[in-house]
Amino acid sequence: MRYRTGAIAKRLLFIPVAVFIVITLAFGLVNLTPGDPALVIAGDLAADEQVAEIRAELGTDKPVPQRYAAYVRELFTERSLGTSFFTKRPIWDEITQRFPDTLELVVLGLLGAVLYGSLLGTLSSYFRRRWPDTLSRTSVTITQSIPDFFMGLLLIYVIFYIIGWAPAPVGRIGLLDRPPDRVTGAVILDTLIARDWGLLKTAFHHAMLPVVTLALFYSSHFAKTTRAVLSRALNSDQVEFARACGLSELRVVGYAFREARTPVVTYIGILFAALFGGAAIVETVFAWGGLGQWAIDAMLKLDVPAIQGFILVVGLLTLLVYLLLDLIVVALDPRVSYE
Amino acid sequence: MSKARLALAKALPKRAEMPAEGGRAGRALRALARGALAHKGLTIGFVVILLILLAGFFAPLPHDPIQPNPESTLQSPDGEFWFGTDRFGFDVFSRVFASARLDLPIALAGTLLSIAVGIPLGLAASNKSRWSERIMRGLDMFQSFPLLVLAFAIVALTGNTLRNIIFAIALVNVPRFIRLVRSEALVLRESRFIEAATAIGASRTRVMLRHVMPNTMGIVLAQASLAAAHAIIVIAGLSFLGIGITPPDASWGVMIRVGSQNIATGQWWVSFFPGAMVFVTIVAFNMVADGVTRVIGRAED
Amino acid sequence: MTAAAAPATASLLEVSDLRVQFRSRRRTVHAVNGVSFAIGEGETVGLVGETGCGKSATVRAIIGLLKSPGRVTAGAVRLEGTDLVGLQPRQLRQIRGARIGFVPQNPFGALNPVLRIERQFRNVIRAHGRGRRGEIRSTALDMLDAVGIADPERVLRGYAHELSGGMAQRVVIALAMILNPRLVVADEPTTGLDLTIQRQILDLIRDLAETEGRSMLLVTHDVGVVAQYCSRVLVMYAGQVVEAGPVRRVLTDPAHPYTEALLAAVPRRGERLVGAQGTVPTLLELPPGCFYYDRCQYRSDPRCATEAPSLREVGPEHWAAVHYDKGAGIRLPAASASAAPSDADSAPGDM
Ligand SMILES: Nc1ncnc2c1ncn2[C@@H]1O[C@H](COP(=O)(O)OP(=O)(O)OP(=O)(O)O)[C@@H](O)[C@H]1O
Ligand SMILES: [Mg+2]
Repeated sequence: MRYRTGAIAKRLLFIPVAVFIVITLAFGLVNLTPGDPALVIAGDLAADEQVAEIRAELGTDKPVPQRYAAYVRELFTERSLGTSFFTKRPIWDEITQRFPDTLELVVLGLLGAVLYGSLLGTLSSYFRRRWPDTLSRTSVTITQSIPDFFMGLLLIYVIFYIIGWAPAPVGRIGLLDRPPDRVTGAVILDTLIARDWGLLKTAFHHAMLPVVTLALFYSSHFAKTTRAVLSRALNSDQVEFARACGLSELRVVGYAFREARTPVVTYIGILFAALFGGAAIVETVFAWGGLGQWAIDAMLKLDVPAIQGFILVVGLLTLLVYLLLDLIVVALDPRVSYE
Repeated sequence: MSKARLALAKALPKRAEMPAEGGRAGRALRALARGALAHKGLTIGFVVILLILLAGFFAPLPHDPIQPNPESTLQSPDGEFWFGTDRFGFDVFSRVFASARLDLPIALAGTLLSIAVGIPLGLAASNKSRWSERIMRGLDMFQSFPLLVLAFAIVALTGNTLRNIIFAIALVNVPRFIRLVRSEALVLRESRFIEAATAIGASRTRVMLRHVMPNTMGIVLAQASLAAAHAIIVIAGLSFLGIGITPPDASWGVMIRVGSQNIATGQWWVSFFPGAMVFVTIVAFNMVADGVTRVIGRAED
Repeated sequence: MTAAAAPATASLLEVSDLRVQFRSRRRTVHAVNGVSFAIGEGETVGLVGETGCGKSATVRAIIGLLKSPGRVTAGAVRLEGTDLVGLQPRQLRQIRGARIGFVPQNPFGALNPVLRIERQFRNVIRAHGRGRRGEIRSTALDMLDAVGIADPERVLRGYAHELSGGMAQRVVIALAMILNPRLVVADEPTTGLDLTIQRQILDLIRDLAETEGRSMLLVTHDVGVVAQYCSRVLVMYAGQVVEAGPVRRVLTDPAHPYTEALLAAVPRRGERLVGAQGTVPTLLELPPGCFYYDRCQYRSDPRCATEAPSLREVGPEHWAAVHYDKGAGIRLPAASASAAPSDADSAPGDM
């Protein structure tokens, strides 16, 4: 037990360093890359004074070390990520307002990916080199080779336009629906809280295609991991011994799963972290209105403080997820303490 | 020296089991090529990529890919416009093939650049030192970032020139090469023929360049093919979002973007054909990667 | 044939003409080629042979757990009269663990790394519908006590990685025998363990078998282990039983040249057994005559090259797959007539 707490303490001690790295990265990305955002924002026809004005507003007229110091100071003393160049609203507010929507999409998409992917991976490894394996691997080959945004468009065409099962890709709810009272900010949760069952159905209906898109695309990664790990586990001595003791096949697969679960859970965590940014393009396709879509908009408009804030928040989120992941893995696997 | 050579002769494995040696990377590659011909998937994948590339540059296209026909917009596929036209009147067929001129070279250039940066860094990081540990830790952090979005941000901030897009792709792909080359080099260093080379007093750099590096070529090639597939996705994503290549230049992502506004009203062909082309290209790259892995005997199964 | 290598008492397990193949698209490995033997009540039978001769394949075929692409292509495995080959998976499951206990080679690998030991006992007992809530725990504790675990409570609460090698194998044995199976099959149960612990484990297995009157099939590389722990021995070569009989008789007066070579080459404990010089058939294509023909120094009989010898009785309860008859003195060594007999005589003494 002592080893374990030691390992965790080590991770915790690393956190401040990592946070610092993320902050520097977010800053460096915007300030050390070549090119002058002010020029782009102002456009070709702008006068020099206008450009200078924009530079001053962005803060890019000062030397880099000074900017860095100011950035870090503002972060820690005022707990501020700055304000958006275009909306003039605090970045923090912009982000927290949209975060719940993205979280909902990521959680649902990941859930789908995990369920579908582990089903594929399990079939694959259990019926290795037989037709379910072939089928599942074909599915993986196909879904991993279709970019997620194109998959989204295909689904819109087939499921919305041809079959008509899904609503138009216009966001979380219909254009004419009144959104639920904001409690958590997550539409599905809020409709649940408001007990507005009709709207809940609408919200799920609208979530269907984006969730399926993410689930299909990311299921392939997940299926591959599950297949590799589970195949090894199913061929292991402990599974043979479990069979030799007369355990049912379901139990035996359960034993294999238990052995395989650490890498699989790790993969869930990694995908979870990756999806906060990774879902951006799918959000755009479905006008989801979450964090990702906002960030893409910011990039198109070159809203420098917003891009910076987004990178920072996503980076910190990733850190947080990885930390939680470490804790979960330690809790799941009694052997970790000895490594 | 002669004594050492004698010792070396004994220490060296037999010719047959000896891995490719320095300066003979060419021979190793030729052996790979021979194996490749025997592998159906690899050959198919390679030929498909080559065909797409050649068609992009040399095939006679029925219409000018960057010259719209305003009088025929959003036409469904017919005898005149085989893949239909988009809402500006661009011929989808011509553009789908012309896109290969931009998309494929950018993907390949980005991949090459990431290899060029990744191999030396990977070899350097394979020295067992405190620093290499730290570099790897930093790499872990970097890779845990949503790299795709990072690439988008970089191109958005630096401007959507070809050079910047290539840089962004290289940046996204470099970590995998560092990691791969490092782990390969760590294994190779322990092997007998490297020990032997060190024993006759070959310098460390020389051992690295002439012995370790050539032997990582096969696996690097497989990884490069995967990286190229990923690069295709990144470029398409960039252009789809409007951050990368912009109209009227032909690029699959741009075309999918244009078509995305019509797909909900049933004009499927504008997005579908470039999307299908992306799919085919990625599958082809994956087949090559899979084939190379098999040919060099690294496949899991 | 079926009568061959029969035990003195009524037989619990009867294997007849068992054949196992590993068939892939490219090649077919004939791992077991017509193995027949029987194990009586309360009897401990040793199965020896050099590596790759098909011992594990035979054992896995008996418990119905051949790894893919292995398949039983012919033969029968009768446990108290019921043929296990071709039994429904469900019926086989009821037999495994309850009527045949299996002790594998690698105790660490055999235990689930992330389940508490208690859960693993519970699962095994439950799988066979035995034991009520309160009883399961005490049954497990008793069994752990019986296999010589000093602090059973603690072991039950813990995980596999907390055990030492010897302890882990004791736990595995306890799991294999918790449902009191009449037959225990142990596939090299002590490889990988320390020498002193090997002894302890083998003693334990023997004691457990003896006190309950269980029958046992003990696979080993080690002729010394056979001599000490078994009553009868089966010698396997290239997927066939080439000699079978009471341990004392087989080891002191081997009838098959392979057994002779095996005894001459008794390895130090822990080493892999390598038999005579010459090449073993690849098991990809089986030769027409005796499988041992290439390595045999006595191949005199013209039938040796063309006809595979089948097991026949060469002494009381002593069977061997040879064409010539040692006792009748027809043996005509091919190479050196004088050297061979002395070889055979001195071999058992080496033990
Ligand atoms: N999965 C498999 N595929 C193909 N051939 C196999 C497979 N498993 C075993 N064999 C072959 O079957 C033959 C018998 O193997 P088996 O494991 O029964 O030998 P063994 O007598 O137990 O050897 P050891 O003493 O090393 O455990 C061997 O020649 C082996 O090569
Ligand atoms: Mg074996």
